[in-house]
Amino acid sequence: MSQKTLGEFEEVVLLVVAILNGEAYSVSIITEIEDRLDRNVSLGAIQTVLKRLENKGLLKSEFGDATNERGGKRKRLYEVTAEGQKIIDQTRVQRNSLWEAIPRVSFNLS
Amino acid sequence: MGLRENKPSRIALTFFKWFCRPDFREEIEGDLLERFRMYSLKYGYHKANRLFIKEVLFLFRPSIVGNAYHLTNTSTMEITNQNKRLVTILAIAIAILLIPLIAMTFTNEVNWKIFDFLVAGILLVGTGLTLEFILKRIKTLRYRILFGVLLFVILLLIWAELAVGIFGTPLAGS
Repeated sequence: MSQKTLGEFEEVVLLVVAILNGEAYSVSIITEIEDRLDRNVSLGAIQTVLKRLENKGLLKSEFGDATNERGGKRKRLYEVTAEGQKIIDQTRVQRNSLWEAIPRVSFNLS
Repeated sequence: MGLRENKPSRIALTFFKWFCRPDFREEIEGDLLERFRMYSLKYGYHKANRLFIKEVLFLFRPSIVGNAYHLTNTSTMEITNQNKRLVTILAIAIAILLIPLIAMTFTNEVNWKIFDFLVAGILLVGTGLTLEFILKRIKTLRYRILFGVLLFVILLLIWAELAVGIFGTPLAGS
């Protein structure tokens, strides 16, 4: 991918995968987003973003264990790659620099 | 109810298994079942089942379906390698016929009689069979393209003639 910026939802997913640290798979990611951000996410949306991030090389994945409540199906565990780490750091730095550039008066208008 | 309690809609699950890319099937099926289990504990069987069906429908998107090839390649259909192309061609013809049928329920602009469907069906299936015949007999790419394009031009001309009449033959429609 030539484009080196993240979409808003991609950024959220990447951060949540980092938070879950080795325990990140689609269902746990949805639960985490619902708990922390109070935001409903469908399984289709999360799977699409996970696959896209993996294609971009920002995430890597492997099969985890199969549990009974999953009907004996294995889960796919995700991890942030070095490339992914770089891009979230970069995003954070850029956001911070934008925040610092706002002059104080612009929030006192009303 | 005992057994039914923990089984989501079988139709939805079969639909999912049909459209999902084979390499994503296992993990996403597991996710669906796990989410269903969670919903049933929280909301009870009926709401969990509704949410399960909704989730399956939301999964029906290009990134999860992948390429269309595996859709015509299910083990239940037992198609031999040779006939796959024919089945795909016929499926496309039927899909095209469904467009006016669905459009008719939403708008009065499209108003087809049974006879119209019959004629269009014969035309499309005929074209499909001719295309299959061409692809079977001609193996050079250049001639395949040539005859294929020629076939579609003829199809479009006949279709336009029947619909609005561009040559003024007695067959012409309104």
